[in-house]
Amino acid sequence: MIEFILNDRKIRTDKPSGLPLLDFIRYEQSLTGTKIGCREGDCGACNVLVGHLQDGQMKYLPITSCLTPIGNVQGKQVVTVEGLNMEDLSPVQQYMVDEAGTQCGFCTVGFIVSLTGYCLSHSTPDYKAAIAAIDGNICRCTGYKSIERAARHITNALAGKDTRETVDWLVERKFIPPYFKEIPNMLQTIGAENGGQKNGVLVGGGTDLYVQKHDQLLDREVDLVANHPNWRFITIKNGVCTLGGATTVTDVQESDALQTLFPRLTQHLKLVASSPIRNISTLAGNFVNASPIGDLTAFFLALNAKIELTEDDKSRTIFLKDFYKGYKDLDKTKGENITAISFIIPPANSHFNLEKVSKRIHLDIASVNTAAQIIVESGVIADAHISAGGVGPTPIYLKDTCAFLMGKPLTPELIRAAIDVLQSEISPISDVRGSENYKRLLLRQLFYAHFIKLFPNQISLEVLA
Amino acid sequence: MADINKKKIVLPLAPNEEFGSVKHLNTKKIKLPHGIPGHNLTEIEREVSADEPPALAVNDQLSVVGKRTKRIDAIYKVTGAAKYTSDIQLPGMLYGKFLRSPHPHAKIKSIDVSAAERHRGVHAVHILSVEPGGAVQRDNGHDAPAETYHVDKLPVLRYVGQPIAGVAAISDKVAREAVQLIKVEYETLPFVVDLDEAMKKGAPLVFEEKVEQQQTGGDVGGEAGAGQQGNLRGPSIGSFYGGPRGDVDQGFNESDIVVEGEFRTQVQTHCALETHGIVADWQTNMLTIYASTQSTKSVRNDLAELFDLPLSKVRVITEYMGGGFGAKFGAGHFGVMAVVLSKKSGHPVKLMLDRKEEQTTAGNRPNSQQMLKIGVKKDGTLQAIDLTSYGTAGIGLGAGVGRVAQDMYTCSNFRMAQYDVFTHAGPGAAFRAPGNVQGCFALEQLIDEIAEKLNLDPLAYRDKIDQSEIRKVERKKGAEKFGWKRKQPGSDSGVVKKGIGVAQGHWPRIIHVDSSATVRINKGGSVEIMSGVQDIGTGTKTILAQVVAEELGLKAEDITVKIGDTTYPDGPGSGGSVTAGSITPAARNAAYQAKMQLLGQVAGGWQVEIADLDMEKGEIFAKSDTSKRMSFVDATKKMRTNQIMATASRPDDYGGFEVGNAIGYDRLGSVQFAEVSVDTETGVIKVDRVVAAHSCGRPLNPLQIESQINGGVIMGVGYALYEDRIMDKETGYMVNANLDQYKLPYSKEIPHIENIIIEQYGAHSSTDASGIGEPANVATAAAIANAVYNAIGVRIYELPMTPDKVLAALQVI
Repeated sequence: MIEFILNDRKIRTDKPSGLPLLDFIRYEQSLTGTKIGCREGDCGACNVLVGHLQDGQMKYLPITSCLTPIGNVQGKQVVTVEGLNMEDLSPVQQYMVDEAGTQCGFCTVGFIVSLTGYCLSHSTPDYKAAIAAIDGNICRCTGYKSIERAARHITNALAGKDTRETVDWLVERKFIPPYFKEIPNMLQTIGAENGGQKNGVLVGGGTDLYVQKHDQLLDREVDLVANHPNWRFITIKNGVCTLGGATTVTDVQESDALQTLFPRLTQHLKLVASSPIRNISTLAGNFVNASPIGDLTAFFLALNAKIELTEDDKSRTIFLKDFYKGYKDLDKTKGENITAISFIIPPANSHFNLEKVSKRIHLDIASVNTAAQIIVESGVIADAHISAGGVGPTPIYLKDTCAFLMGKPLTPELIRAAIDVLQSEISPISDVRGSENYKRLLLRQLFYAHFIKLFPNQISLEVLA
Repeated sequence: MADINKKKIVLPLAPNEEFGSVKHLNTKKIKLPHGIPGHNLTEIEREVSADEPPALAVNDQLSVVGKRTKRIDAIYKVTGAAKYTSDIQLPGMLYGKFLRSPHPHAKIKSIDVSAAERHRGVHAVHILSVEPGGAVQRDNGHDAPAETYHVDKLPVLRYVGQPIAGVAAISDKVAREAVQLIKVEYETLPFVVDLDEAMKKGAPLVFEEKVEQQQTGGDVGGEAGAGQQGNLRGPSIGSFYGGPRGDVDQGFNESDIVVEGEFRTQVQTHCALETHGIVADWQTNMLTIYASTQSTKSVRNDLAELFDLPLSKVRVITEYMGGGFGAKFGAGHFGVMAVVLSKKSGHPVKLMLDRKEEQTTAGNRPNSQQMLKIGVKKDGTLQAIDLTSYGTAGIGLGAGVGRVAQDMYTCSNFRMAQYDVFTHAGPGAAFRAPGNVQGCFALEQLIDEIAEKLNLDPLAYRDKIDQSEIRKVERKKGAEKFGWKRKQPGSDSGVVKKGIGVAQGHWPRIIHVDSSATVRINKGGSVEIMSGVQDIGTGTKTILAQVVAEELGLKAEDITVKIGDTTYPDGPGSGGSVTAGSITPAARNAAYQAKMQLLGQVAGGWQVEIADLDMEKGEIFAKSDTSKRMSFVDATKKMRTNQIMATASRPDDYGGFEVGNAIGYDRLGSVQFAEVSVDTETGVIKVDRVVAAHSCGRPLNPLQIESQINGGVIMGVGYALYEDRIMDKETGYMVNANLDQYKLPYSKEIPHIENIIIEQYGAHSSTDASGIGEPANVATAAAIANAVYNAIGVRIYELPMTPDKVLAALQVI
């Protein structure tokens, strides 16, 4: 039995936990405001907000309901556009009307939901954040300009927003209906546990699994990593940072500890998927997916991270770089799950950088990506961990290149000379993301970019070119 | 059932030759605004039917028309109340699903549907003997969808995704399970999906026999009856603008400079947010259809003919629809299947395509290879233009590159040969300014190149060779807003180089005279307008309300707009930017005629002449005696009948059509300016800014027009940089049949856009309005390409301009 709140109503259902939330909303509840655009998490027409209690406050995140098994909303509140409607239009709805932010209207509800999610966030209103909030919504009619104007008005209307008692503040100004204030009490009466059976297919965020195997999952029980709270954490202890396998990209992005360690973390992660996808996709999912171009994989490979693989009560820990044996071939038994990722906190003199090039800057699978963690002491490279994606059958830890760099003085000549080593340990193929030559060139440029960005005093484009 | 092979669907572009222009019993002479305010506005006298309303003043003298008016249906869209076809839920409704071809080219040796029929929850299974409906080629000698299974009639499969059979079941899931249970034995055959490969001698043939043209909705390309050799069909050597002109070879001989280039454009898919789909409800007395369509009447006409029903027994409803961009005309193979399954099962059947089906089977903008050569005199005069093009619309037709080379600039010697090339891929369909978008990418780059060779500014050069007064104004105003300052190509230092570029485009002014509307004034003052025309997101509902409100002295929100239902008088199909120009004069004329009836009653009461009465700000008053005044609402309360109703159709253009009975020559011009940044290390192009100057006759609602222009520009950005249907040559599959790997622009890729709308009067009709959908999209990719050249000093001849192509052009890979 799954229990959650749909808008203002308590839902109890015996539907299988693998049923996509979208199907439940549209077919079981006949709420057709939530649309089916692509069923693959790319268009945002099915976006809904999912709210849960965190530190006594409601926290709302937009997610793509097509990729979310219903079991994942156990004990939470789901908000569809119908749950935002009041007697009058909310300011979000009104500004979209005023600025002609809707044309055919099919995508519109998704935008309304995403923008309301932006209003509900506990951060200070900021136009850029409003645009980021709709980064997973496709509109094929308006050219987004009218939606941008609406986003500006909405941001202005949020001036002075109470970032603590946000719900109250928004209810008072009729951004959301009054019933939102009752939700924390209602949620208290529902358990956050359950929602899936431990023997079902293990589903992380589902952001790839539900694209590939939607048919096989919709009438099955699934075992949701969301129901393993012990798999979702970020801790720093004894110079080691450990993250649970079920930690989402958004969790990483919002972690103060990680932001301190990686000042450009937000910029890096903005290049990964869209907000609704980042809100549900997990680290373990990204690793196990074994895409040769996984952005997070490249990130953690350069931290020389280790992963903990657990089956029942047996665990073992291996380096992430040793996890990949071949294309989608992993050092993992069927029963094993990635329960934790850990890396040694880079020393203060360490430098970290991530580069990615794709056809479209945002929301695109990289043609090539690479990350680097480098320590230079007295002008000599004391430590180097560099990864590359999209240039072989697996995400690659460039061990030969790293070995070549180690212990040598950081000079333009060294960086140039490293290119030969680098080219010898990759094997890109020509595909939709570019030709082999293009990818080889790109990795060279991005390899240069690491050093130009991290050591601007020693390395510049002019001296490398 | 009728033979669909004999069926002719009237093309919106085809002039109606049945009758010439219409004669009128009584005519009158009226003076109408003509020209561009602030530039060359004047008045022109036209002789029009005596039924026509008086001339509408220029916009700044009006109260509703021409004003930024919010969409009257936006409230239903922002609240999720708007019901689209995919939201329709009828009692007992079943879900339809297709079995589609897994092979790009195959014959069906046998097919066994018995297990699918026995599957629990399945109500009907149907095998297609042909693929009817939509822009799809059929096999010769095949009949309409057969009710029974004839193995000898099974069609050849010619692309991955071609429908074979359909299933109706109690749920989407059960239908999908049943599809899996259909056993088919295939005999696979060699195939070709690549344009160049398909043209080679000995390439696998897509069609053995000569193909007769069957198309819907505005495709442009190879003409019917053209030659066919191998997979090559054509050439088309003319368009509705005429055939070849002058002597091209001599023109080149007399040229001082000759420029030429081979340009390539990719296959683009429409990606409307709502996929194609239909809900069919077959009842003995009526077939009711809910369709996501750009033309309710085209769906009705297709189905009435295919199922041998009178037009009166088919009702098509499209209250809201989630975008079309040219691909949603006619019943479609899914529509026909849904009707068959509904008829067989006795239940309503919903059949919505999924995104993969949408990407592979529901239409696309064909690709092109264009060899364009232009000769000019030293003074810049165009001497000769020669265009040869090849393109593939898969198994369909219509892969031409439009008419811009033929028609945008003055050149007395012109020759073209446009070929369709068949490949084993899903059919093309009309797509926002079919042909012209592809053609503009080539033409406008070469014009830019000529200007450079002549050492002329690209704008100054166009001033010289372009006769269009509208575009002249657009260039001037656009350049001012853009801050146009020519700079040397590739002159920026640094890794990221900036560049600016300009390109222009056009689209003919096309009118459908089969566009009618009824206006009804009810006792109590409510007013309705009713028409079969549909609002596909462009804002048709709102402009209809505006036009009626203006005529009746009311506000747009006072008008109830009931459209998208064939119960009402037929409206135009919404494609080719025809809607506003076709339906708004009918709406205004109907409103005017209803108004005259009401005023007639008031005049009788007040003992004045009708001509002495007018309506304004919700009141009726006598011009000669201002004490005679009554609110519109009160006047309607005294009506003799409960309702006053008038129906009008689109008359011929005032002064007659220039081509046939449909086309006007004063082109819907556009000039677009682009500024780009090109990263010469990674090859990534970023569009920073676009200024888009456009005209669409009388602008009815600038708020909506701007949005249409912005949408066209962004679709052009996608076409220029990201979008590309990629076919796997080894398997014949589309590699990126989704919205993940098929790249559309998202909110973070959007440049700064500024619009200029030129108000322009041509005195063509009682509203003098035109559409804006197509022109908005024509010039963008070419403007970006010219800007990229200006940035890096090297031209890119192929779309999309992806990073690897930029680096290849820079010769670093």
